[in-house]
Amino acid sequence: MNPFNAWLDQVSTAISAPAAWAIFMTGAGIYLINVWRIRFLILIAQYFFVGILFARIFETRPEMALLKILVGWLICGAFLISARVRANAIAREQARQQSEATDSGARVDSQRPFRWASNLPFRILSLIVMTIVAYLAAEKYPLPFISADLALACFILIILAVLFIGTEENDMMIVGVGVLNLLAALDIFYSAQDPGLLVTGLLVMVNLLVGLAFSYLAVVEVAE
Amino acid sequence: MTLPGPVVLIGLPLAVSLVLQVLRRWTALMAFLATATALFGGLLVLSSPLLDWLPLSTVDVAIEQPFYILGRVLTIEPVDRLPLIFIFFTAAGLFVIAWRLLPHSNFFPTGLMMVAMLAGAMMLRQVVFTALLIEIAAVLAVFPLHEPVGGHYGGGSGKGGARYIAYITLALPGLMITQLLLELFTVFPNDTALLQSATILLGLSFAILLGAVPFQAWLSTVATDGSPPVVTFLFTVNMGAAWFMLLAYLESYAWLGRQAMFSPLFTTVGLLMMIIGGSLAAAQRRPGRLIGYATLVDNGAMFMALGTRQVAGVALTLMILMARPLALGLMTMGLDGLKRLGNSDDSTANNGASTASLEGAGWRAPWRAVAFVVGGIAMAGFPLSLNFAARWGLYRVIAETSLFQAVLALLGCAGVMMGVIGVARMLFAPRLKAATQQNDGREGNREDLVVLILIMVLIGATLALGIFPGAVGEIALQMAEGFTFF
Repeated sequence: MNPFNAWLDQVSTAISAPAAWAIFMTGAGIYLINVWRIRFLILIAQYFFVGILFARIFETRPEMALLKILVGWLICGAFLISARVRANAIAREQARQQSEATDSGARVDSQRPFRWASNLPFRILSLIVMTIVAYLAAEKYPLPFISADLALACFILIILAVLFIGTEENDMMIVGVGVLNLLAALDIFYSAQDPGLLVTGLLVMVNLLVGLAFSYLAVVEVAE
Repeated sequence: MTLPGPVVLIGLPLAVSLVLQVLRRWTALMAFLATATALFGGLLVLSSPLLDWLPLSTVDVAIEQPFYILGRVLTIEPVDRLPLIFIFFTAAGLFVIAWRLLPHSNFFPTGLMMVAMLAGAMMLRQVVFTALLIEIAAVLAVFPLHEPVGGHYGGGSGKGGARYIAYITLALPGLMITQLLLELFTVFPNDTALLQSATILLGLSFAILLGAVPFQAWLSTVATDGSPPVVTFLFTVNMGAAWFMLLAYLESYAWLGRQAMFSPLFTTVGLLMMIIGGSLAAAQRRPGRLIGYATLVDNGAMFMALGTRQVAGVALTLMILMARPLALGLMTMGLDGLKRLGNSDDSTANNGASTASLEGAGWRAPWRAVAFVVGGIAMAGFPLSLNFAARWGLYRVIAETSLFQAVLALLGCAGVMMGVIGVARMLFAPRLKAATQQNDGREGNREDLVVLILIMVLIGATLALGIFPGAVGEIALQMAEGFTFF
């Protein structure tokens, strides 16, 4: 193993447990904050932490982990563009409604730069419950052939996916993040067993396509 | 030069799809090229010496020659021919239907890409790659599914596509991990727990892929929210590929079919799907949702047919699958016209200046309404349709073991029929006839001649195959004999 790979291996081994919890924190941020600029930054951070876990799986080929991070960041870029297009379309519609409401004398709420997601107590409670479930599942049902840290990360990604897909049906991009989290969990688990080039390549392609598809779905409703 | 069959069957659609992206302006040319490519692929599998009469003396296609890529093998075995023929020919038929319904659409190039992915999935032996290719095909489908047509109709809310991707992705881990478990089983043949886990995971994944209860929610959402021709593509070609994948696994892993719980599980799931689908369809007045529930009942009938554990059951499954493109094709053409009346909403219709329910819409677009109703009758498995022969055979086979189950299955189909009658009554509601006729005169609401001809051809084919189902039945039986797991 060359010195850089050895160093990377040591670093990723040391920080893989914190990385798993960092993935949880970033997921919680996406779930609780309702501003796409912030969500975008958090998603970039999440892909970085997922990449750290991949560095542990692809010990002798760190470029594969780098590829996973880059693909994730590409998807983040696509999501940001879609979010902007969607936000602009919604803002135009709100401006039109505002002008109509002003004409009729009604009061309209102004846009705030930072917003928590709606039903915040419910979301926090769901997150706490699901985190406990993930932690206990990782303790009680250890996944075969992968380390405890990676198994914990897989379970955390799965519970985040369930939360995003199950409770955010009207927000296409959050559903998309959920699907991508599910794919990341599968990718971590499967790549640890079979780090073959063909499977990795196909999973990268699936990730990219899913990212593009959800970016498309996010704007299709507001397309003029 | 000799080309392996898999290279042609995957490479040609992919290459043509790239060309079609450039030709989006010319819908007729796009539809022609897409249809010709799909037909060519189907004919090539059907009769490999096809190229002998083509002016391609320097190129020879060896259809059964395997192709190796990064250590994995793509090969067309005799049992793969039927799925490939079904995928290519059904896609060709749907490209013809989409010609007038989806102008300038990316359905044609994307459809060919999906065909290439599904064909690849059929040719690979490893579960993991098959699953990934089916996932890619599913994700590709979302782009035409929610494409606004002509800038004024279609698009939808995107929920159908999102739910479809989410469900198919949920099915992916089970399929991929099954592969690992089966590989482990070859190393530890005494560990039967591995087989049990593989069976459960495989069952769950196929339940999600085929919209089995309780994973049926995506069927009605996709049918309501998506572009009708693309929905038909998903419910016939994509879902057909999933069915053939299931049959291939039952063939490859014969122990799956030999498990004691196989027959009760398939029969119970199928019956539940038929009863729940029928109940929901009976109360449904939205044509899009009705298509979703009718497909749920159809899939339930196929599960029940497999649950009989007989060769006849496999033949009936294949016959139901072959009947579906005709019935759904008709329903699609009808729903497309009705959605246009309602600006892509199938619960309402633009009635002049105001928006009213679809009541009486049949008087404004009579051929579309007739197409929907005839297709609905065929999907319900009532005479005169090919599905009727298949369902009748199913009731007879089930009745040999349980008359009660046969009656319940029949009631499920009757539920779909009640839904079709309900929608037909709404579409041809007499009270709006006079008003809509006035509207017709003002707007000059004329039907596209090509669409009319296509509707008549499909109705004719449905009736003809309903009267003479023997030929299709024979083909289905011959194909079923190719599967030896029962």
